Amino acid sequence: MHELSIAQNIAKIVHQEYLKGNFQSDIQVVHFSAGRMNAIIPESLLLNFNIVKRNYNEMKQAELIIAEKEIIIKCNVCLREYVIQEPVFYCQNCGSSNISILQGKEMYVEDFEL
Amino acid sequence: MKIEILKNVLEVNDNLANDIREKSDKSKTLVLNMMSSPGSGKTSILEKLLPKLLFNGIKTGIIEGDITTTRDADRIIGNEIPVVQINTEKFGGDCHLGSEVVKPALDQLHYEKLDLVIIENVGNLVCPAEFDTGADKNIVVISVTEGEDKPLKYPLMFRVCELSVINKVDLLPFLNFDMEQLTANIRQINPNMEIIKISAQTDENVDALLKWIQNNLKN
Repeated sequence: MHELSIAQNIAKIVHQEYLKGNFQSDIQVVHFSAGRMNAIIPESLLLNFNIVKRNYNEMKQAELIIAEKEIIIKCNVCLREYVIQEPVFYCQNCGSSNISILQGKEMYVEDFEL
Repeated sequence: MKIEILKNVLEVNDNLANDIREKSDKSKTLVLNMMSSPGSGKTSILEKLLPKLLFNGIKTGIIEGDITTTRDADRIIGNEIPVVQINTEKFGGDCHLGSEVVKPALDQLHYEKLDLVIIENVGNLVCPAEFDTGADKNIVVISVTEGEDKPLKYPLMFRVCELSVINKVDLLPFLNFDMEQLTANIRQINPNMEIIKISAQTDENVDALLKWIQNNLKN
C-alpha cells in the first residue's frame, strides 16, 4: 500500500522538474528505479501512478517504467562485495556481520522523456 | 528528449525526519518508533509500560497512528499521559506515518519539554519500514503467534530496527513455536539486533523494556 505514497512522490518530483524546464511538449515516459529491499509491487505502483498522473496536464500520457535494482552488500572486514538473492546479511566469505548495503534500498526518479 | 533527474523519491520525507532528530537532540527528547503487524500488542505494551514510565518520573508523550478510529488513543488516554492521534485517512488512507504527519503531532505534544515520545505506527510490516518518521530508534514488536519466518519475509523492517520485542511469550506452552528459530532468523537479517522477550498480558519482563528505554534516554 505504500505504492500510493510513492506514486504521489514520483509525480510531484517529475512535475517540479518539468516546470523548471519550460518545456512545450508532454511527458511520454518516466523512468523509476527501486531496490529489492523496498518490496514494491510493480502492478500496484503502476495502477496508482496511472491515477495520480491525471492531476498533472503534462503527465496524462506518461508511461511509468520500473527498474528493479539488486541488493548488493559489502563486507567491511574482508572488503568483498556480493549480490544477494536471499536476505542473509552476513559476509559469505568471512562470516562477519559488519556489512554495508551498497545498493538495494533506494528509490529514484531517474529521468523523463518528452 | 530525455531529461535526467536522479532524485530520491523519499528525499522530502528524509529531510524532514532529519530536522526532527536535530530538534529532539537539542531538547534531549528520545523519540521511539514502534512498529509491528496488526495485533502484535503494541497498544497493550504501552498500557503496561506507561504507568511504569510515570512512576519513574519520565515525562512521556504518545503519538498514535491509525488509518481510522481513535480506539487505541482511547485505551491509552486514561493514563495522564498526553496522546496525539493521527488518523491517516485524510492523507489518503496511508498505511504508515511519514515525517510530514509526525512533525505536527510532535509539535502538538510540545515534545521539546518531554523526555520521551513513543510513536505507535500503523500496524504493518512493510510500509512503515520505508518511511523515516524522525525517530531516534525503531522498535519492531513481533508476537509468538505470528510464526518464526516473519523476519525473512519482511527483511527491511528488521534491518531498520535496533530492538525486537517478542511479545505474548505467556502463550508459548500452547504453541508449536520455535523461539531459537525466530531469534536465528532475526539475527540473520540483523546480527546486531537487541531482543527482549515479554508478555504484555502478564507483565512478564516488561521491566526489561523499561530498562532499555531508560538506558537510551538522552538526559
